[in-house]
Amino acid sequence: MRALLCILLICFGTTCLAQDPIQLIGRNTGEKLLSDGNEIRTFGFAQEIGENPGVPGPSLEVIEGDSVVIDFWNISQGAPHTIHLHGLDVDQQNDGVPHLSFEVHHMEHGFYRFKAPHPGTYVYHCHVVSSIHVQAGMFGLLIVRPAVGDNYTWEGGYNYWYESSLLMSEIDTNWHHDSVLLHDYDTNMSHHHVRIPKYKPQHFLINGLAEQQLDDLTIRGVNDGNLYLRLSNIGYFGNRIIFPSGLNARVIDSDGRPLPVEEVTDTLEILPGERYGVLAAPDSAFMDEVIVQYFNLNTGIVLNEQYVNVNIEDAAGIKESSKEVVRIYPNPATSSLTVEVGLQEAEIQIVDSQGRLILETSVTGSESFDIRNLPSGAYILSSRTALGIENHPFIKP
Amino acid sequence: MFKAILCRLIILWSAFVGCDARAQEVFQRLYINSGEYTAVDSAQFPFSAFNATPQFFPENVRISINAGETLKVRVVNNDSVNHAFQIKDKTTQVGIAPGDSILVTAVFDTGDEVFIYHDPMDYPRLTALGLAGLIHVKSNSNSTFYWNVKEFQKEWATQHALGNPVNWSDYYPDYFTINGRSNPNINNDAVARIVGGVGETLRVVIANTGQSIHSLHFHGYHAEIIYSSENSQHEGRSKDTFPIKPMESLILEIVPDKPGEYPVHDHNLVAVSAGGIYPNGMFLTMLIQ
Repeated sequence: MRALLCILLICFGTTCLAQDPIQLIGRNTGEKLLSDGNEIRTFGFAQEIGENPGVPGPSLEVIEGDSVVIDFWNISQGAPHTIHLHGLDVDQQNDGVPHLSFEVHHMEHGFYRFKAPHPGTYVYHCHVVSSIHVQAGMFGLLIVRPAVGDNYTWEGGYNYWYESSLLMSEIDTNWHHDSVLLHDYDTNMSHHHVRIPKYKPQHFLINGLAEQQLDDLTIRGVNDGNLYLRLSNIGYFGNRIIFPSGLNARVIDSDGRPLPVEEVTDTLEILPGERYGVLAAPDSAFMDEVIVQYFNLNTGIVLNEQYVNVNIEDAAGIKESSKEVVRIYPNPATSSLTVEVGLQEAEIQIVDSQGRLILETSVTGSESFDIRNLPSGAYILSSRTALGIENHPFIKP
Repeated sequence: MFKAILCRLIILWSAFVGCDARAQEVFQRLYINSGEYTAVDSAQFPFSAFNATPQFFPENVRISINAGETLKVRVVNNDSVNHAFQIKDKTTQVGIAPGDSILVTAVFDTGDEVFIYHDPMDYPRLTALGLAGLIHVKSNSNSTFYWNVKEFQKEWATQHALGNPVNWSDYYPDYFTINGRSNPNINNDAVARIVGGVGETLRVVIANTGQSIHSLHFHGYHAEIIYSSENSQHEGRSKDTFPIKPMESLILEIVPDKPGEYPVHDHNLVAVSAGGIYPNGMFLTMLIQ
């Protein structure tokens, strides 16, 4: 009986601890609209059947210390695909390199398992004939958030209010023809000899966008809080990032590890496969641009520049002019109280009329709380966001 | 009295040993040889190298000395044209006529450094033709692996050998090598292939003697930058991807935490090819038991 109880407890415990697998679907049938209006064929990752695989693929987020499972379903004929968890230092079985780990063939599921290591910015990409499959679009960002909270760089690191991720790549449209993409592949061969064309990219991307497509991408921040930039290069050119001086940028981490000595700079080079974390601490409101240069690794010649809007707002001005950032409803609330946050995240506290702390948590987006067990009375929900502290009284009848 | 004499003798002996260590000389003979390089796809093109004997071999000598030692290099021009020799950031350029030789002396006081020796004449023509190797100044006995990273544009090698100018703003290399080898042959080079055990301290000494920037990505493990010839502020960083510019050198340290076979490759994924064929470029695996 006791043994049975132990087994039940172990099973129950395992079930509770298990994380839901992250779903990724591999497709060879993507279409990408370029800034010049032309469409190209791409390979890529999606999370829903019927969803066009984007370039880049969906950004994945996990929490430091979590046991993560990625359920990769390959729905694409031709060569198999894999997921290489770039920089996560996973074991060989889960490294996603053909012949050293497993390949995922058409209509197969492959399960990648790892324990989320150091908080930081990582990349995932297919490692089958990687020169072609990465250029085809099979890559995305993977962020490991620290266990201490979403708005921290790492435990003992920096708190920040705003965050932006820029993932740089290029496209050579000559690589996006079927004659290149649909290469031969023999699973039984340890080395697949595949011809790749000369690389002469015409499109230079940030988060898959270029030129006027970048108008909708803005790095936002306020003048009294930190802004954290996650910068990654998965292309085959070098990037030189030029920050507005008003950002007061300093490089604080790279490849998922804090730098032993931070580097204050307004220019940062990021080479293929590298990732950097940059903490900006603007002290005034301004609008400007981050310049991203793309330079040829063989000649050093800059071939292109792209621009990302920067909008640093005056926090005091926002507080005065804007409506409340956090909204709660219904009020009075009988069984459930919903908290909606207009910013990335709010830290909230609920205290009763005696000032006793009832609940302390953080909310992203919208979240509902079960308050059926809360005694009748008056309460105050306090929220703390990048724009300050708000107090919202509510009644439980 | 006896104790005082003994102390003096110990001091004198220590001083003597110290002088002897400072005076320790390492002699190396280098022959400038020219020949043909045979690539992984059997393509052939001109190549020149600093070899230990008058016989051509398409790989430059690796020189390894201890901190505090003096290196004496006799460089013999075994070629039919003029050459020169220089240890970058250490000695000045000295010309060598065909059939002639020079003696270069350099003292290496500091351990954990890497220097590139090369032919700087008409730079970068003769360096690009192959004439560049590395000098590692050791400070410990850790297992150490050596990568002379170099890429070539096959059609240009002939022009380099003929002394013809090329337009470097059009440089598009098509062969990418470590110690003169490409995938899968790099794994056959015991000097290049990292083999070790879990918990062992392994070091990789890297010199980029090519003209392209490379971005070397390690699977499985992060490594610490112990030495960077161009960016000392990068020392101490723990990373998985390491950019290395032309004529730059690095020392990396890896302490593997798990067994396995993991790739290391240039993450400029064009550079994992040879003659336009994937994956015959700058790609090898490390084996941790």
